[in-house]
Order: sequence, then C-alpha cells, then structure tokens
Amino acid sequence: MNTYYAANLLIFAGVDIIACLALNLQFGVSGIVNFSFIVFQAAGAYTAAILSMPPDTAPDYTFQIYFGGYQLPFPIPWIGGAVAGGLLALPIGLVVLRRLRADYQAIALLVTSIIANTVINNARPWLNGAAGVALVPQPLQEQLNADTHTYQYLYIGLTAICVAIVWFIAARIVNSPYGRSLRAMRENEVAATALGKNPTALKMTIFIVGGAIAGLSGAILVGFLTVWAPSTWLYPETIILFAAVIVGGRGNNVGAILGALLVPVGFEEVTRLLGGLNIGPPQLIPALEWVCIGLFILGFLWFRPRGVAPEPRHVFPGAPIREDTRWVEGTPAS
Amino acid sequence: MLAARDIHRHFEGMHAVDGVSIEVMPERITGLIGPNGAGKSTLLAVLAGTLPASSGTIVFQGEDITRLPAYQRARRGLVRTFQLPSEFAQLTVLENLMVAAPDNRGESLLGALLGKRYWMPDETRLVAQARGLLKRFGMNAKESDYAGTLSGGQKRLVEIMRALMLRPKLLLLDEPMSGVHPSIVDEIAGYLETLRDEGLTILMVEHELHMVDRLCDPVVVMAQGKVIGQGGMAALRKQPEIVEAYLVG
Repeated sequence: MNTYYAANLLIFAGVDIIACLALNLQFGVSGIVNFSFIVFQAAGAYTAAILSMPPDTAPDYTFQIYFGGYQLPFPIPWIGGAVAGGLLALPIGLVVLRRLRADYQAIALLVTSIIANTVINNARPWLNGAAGVALVPQPLQEQLNADTHTYQYLYIGLTAICVAIVWFIAARIVNSPYGRSLRAMRENEVAATALGKNPTALKMTIFIVGGAIAGLSGAILVGFLTVWAPSTWLYPETIILFAAVIVGGRGNNVGAILGALLVPVGFEEVTRLLGGLNIGPPQLIPALEWVCIGLFILGFLWFRPRGVAPEPRHVFPGAPIREDTRWVEGTPAS
Repeated sequence: MLAARDIHRHFEGMHAVDGVSIEVMPERITGLIGPNGAGKSTLLAVLAGTLPASSGTIVFQGEDITRLPAYQRARRGLVRTFQLPSEFAQLTVLENLMVAAPDNRGESLLGALLGKRYWMPDETRLVAQARGLLKRFGMNAKESDYAGTLSGGQKRLVEIMRALMLRPKLLLLDEPMSGVHPSIVDEIAGYLETLRDEGLTILMVEHELHMVDRLCDPVVVMAQGKVIGQGGMAALRKQPEIVEAYLVG
C-alpha cells in the first residue's frame, strides 16, 4: 500500500466517521430513519464547491454551468457546507417530521433523496447536471503551494480536526439530559410527549444538527475529490451508512466509528483487494459488495441487533456497580 | 380542578366519546368505569391531549386547554399514564424518571453543548429527587436495570413515579392495576391512597371494582361513549340501568 493510497483511505475514513456520527445522532440516538441522509452530504459538497470555485465564466471553467462561484477562502466553504446541510434540514424536517408516523417518515425521506438526485441530475443550469462540478479548488492549496505528499498530510490533519470537533459535539449531546430525552423519544414518542417533551422540537433540532454535520462531511469530501456529481450521492450511499451504524452499534458514538471503519471503509478495501484477483466478470465483485452489505445488515439485525459496540447502560454515580456499567459523563455522585 | 364540557371524539363516523361532561374535584380519586369500548381510555387521551377532541371544551385550573398539545398540558401539571406499559425500555429505571424531570438546563440542545458544568446542579438535584421516589416505592435496588426488563407491576410503578417527577396537579391513570400481580395491586392501591392523602388529584380508569370501591369517590360510569351516571359507588349500585350496563354485565 503506497502513501498516496493510505492518505486517501484515512481521509475517506474521516469523512465516513463524521457521517456515521451524524447518522447515529439522528437514527441511533433519536430513532429518525433518515433515508435522505446523503442529500445533506451532497448539499454541503455542492455549497462548498460553489463557494470556493470561480464563476463558470472564468478561464478553464467554461465547460461547466453552475450558479455562484465566489472564490471564498478556506474555511468559509466548509462552514458554508455545514450551514447548507443544517438549513436544508429545516424545510425537509418541517414537512416530514411533524405529522408523519415514523415508518412514513422513512418512506418520505427516501423519496426526497430520489427526487433531489433526479432534479439535480436533470437540471443542468444549477449545478451542471449529471456531469457535476469539477476543478473544485482544494482548501489552502494555492496559499501553501505544497507538494502532493505534504498537502495530503495537511488534509488528513484538517479532516482529523473536524472528526474531533464532531466527536466532541456528539459526545456532549449523547451524554446530556437532552440526549436522554432523544433516547426516550426513540423508545416511545407518545409517552415522552405525555411527560412534557416537545417531539417536534427534539426531532427538528437533532435533524438540523445531523444535517449540518453531514454537510460538513460533504464539504471535506469535495475539497479532496475536487469533483462532485449526482452519481456520487445516489440513495444507496445512505444504506451503506445505515449498515455502518447498525453494525457498529446504534446509539453509541464508539459504535458509529467502528461501523464506519468496518462497513464503508472495510468493504471498499475488501472489494479493491478482491478486484485485483480478477475473479469472474469485472462487475462481479462490486455487485457482490452490495449483496454482502445487505447480508451484513440482516445478519446483525438477526444475531446481534445492538451491534458490535452496543449502546452503553447509563448508570449514575452512587448506583450499585454492574459489569456493563459505563458512568454517565458528568453526572453527580449521590 | 378540571372541567370537561360536551366532549366529542369521532373516529370516521364512530362516536367513541359522545358529548361527555365531567368535573374532577381536587384532592380526590375520581373513578372512571364502564364496559369495554365505553370510551374511557379515549376520554382520558382527549383530556391529556394525546388525542384531539372533535369538539367540546376542557378547562384545567381555570385555563382553557382544549387546543393545547399534550406536552404543554403535561407541563401545566396534567399528566397521564397508559393502559399498556409505556416504559422507555432501553433506558434504566432512574433514567426513565430523569426524562420526566422538569427544569433541567441540560434539556435543550444549547444546554447540552454548553456541557456538564452548565447543567450539573440541576442534574444533582433531580437525581436526588428521583432516588427519593425510588426509595419510597421500594424500587431503589432496580435503579440501573433497563426498564424493559421489569415485571408488569414494576413497570406500572415506574410509570407512576415518572409521572410524579413532573410534580403533577392532576394524574390521569389508565388502568394502573391492569396485568399486575395481585400482590402488587394492593401495593399500588396503598401508594395511590397515600398520594391522595397528600393532596394529589387523580382521575383513574379501572376495571377492578373492589379497587374502585376502596379508592374512588366519586365514580363516573360510561357506556357507548356517554356518561350514564356518577356519584358514590353505593348509590350507583342502586341504579338499575347502571347495574344492567356494567356492574353485573
């Protein structure tokens, strides 16, 4: 494995970890089956692209059509990507999360994902349609003028900082009374409402937070890939992230990270290695990857529904100690 | 305490609650009885806001709450429990109680992000309050058990304790003895009597008539979505139409 490939792998792992932490907040902790998750990542990617690219009339960019093109310096495109993901969550959440039952929410969000992809795919004047945007400037590349290796290390560092920030936010949410209310809503929304919890407010806030984090993951990804097109954010991408959260352990941030490393990163690696062995027709191994992901989800739901690292029991200091005790961060001694 | 006037609740033409008017007097346990399908649980859900009323008016402590959503009614002290166990199964018993605790600064997203130093004082106070309730109800040894692993009777107790964490003014109990082992039925009845004596007002749907006899005064009898009688159990037993509709039916 060469350095270039290792750097690629680390950056993709970072992006997947960020995405899985966001999906874990929405699905694992709060029970929102957000089948449109990838749309928020795409919104962040497109926003970061048009904030950092020059206008489409600039030399070298005339082969594509897109709105905006503001050439804003780093970190504004990444912040913009996160803001776009959060803002997009507002209208989608208000339409889907307020009145629909959980299973219909999931269907509505899946349909949202398909509609969004189809619209962007076919409406070329907005974001260059199916061809997508290309030549997205990499963050700080012009200012640093670094060689490829140095720049890759820098990008790994920037990604790691974002992973740390997102981990910090996710940990604070999960271990707080707010996180406890989210888990209660996940378990029984009607009972939580009868205890004075506003389910719409709870769902909307975590949907927006998750959307913003997803947007950030998209911004990081597009800054590295320098291209972004509808084919990169088809709805099955969301299924991979769901598989990761289910396999890793719903409701547990550590589980989300493990899931990100096992499923999106792990499967990609295994596919790459098997692809090199030239087994069967060229599309056999990628097709089998999807079969394996499906079987993986079913297998875990059947045999280990709480995942590799299950949601920990939240025990308060002063309680009898149990084998599976994990102290709730910051809770007081009795 | 609570007055409901001409409450209707229709489900696609079916009149589950059909012009019910009741009053709940403070510091008493009011019983709500009737045959299956009489509309008791639906009425309770309408009063708590879990289901909206098709028409009618609900006044709680002088305020018209007819249009308020369930969570706002709960915050005003009108708290319900459910006919079927409604524990938060993957949360511990103590967490179940803590979810219901009001006035915790860590309950908002901003509060959570500000960190433990911001919400720790509230959490400390509320953990002590919740542990006090667990001790009182003899459940302190179970505080770290997942609520989903408890017996039916213990789940009922958790529901009642959870409701008490909200410091309710009126507690709406939907068949609190249902599916509970007889040895715990007496225990729950004892707790309800104590709560009443301490000044809590309760409206309770119940099928166990000996418990209604023991705990409730007055008693409201419903059949086919309507109130067919109310008063003391002794007086109700003398009304032939009520005896026919429910008491021996």
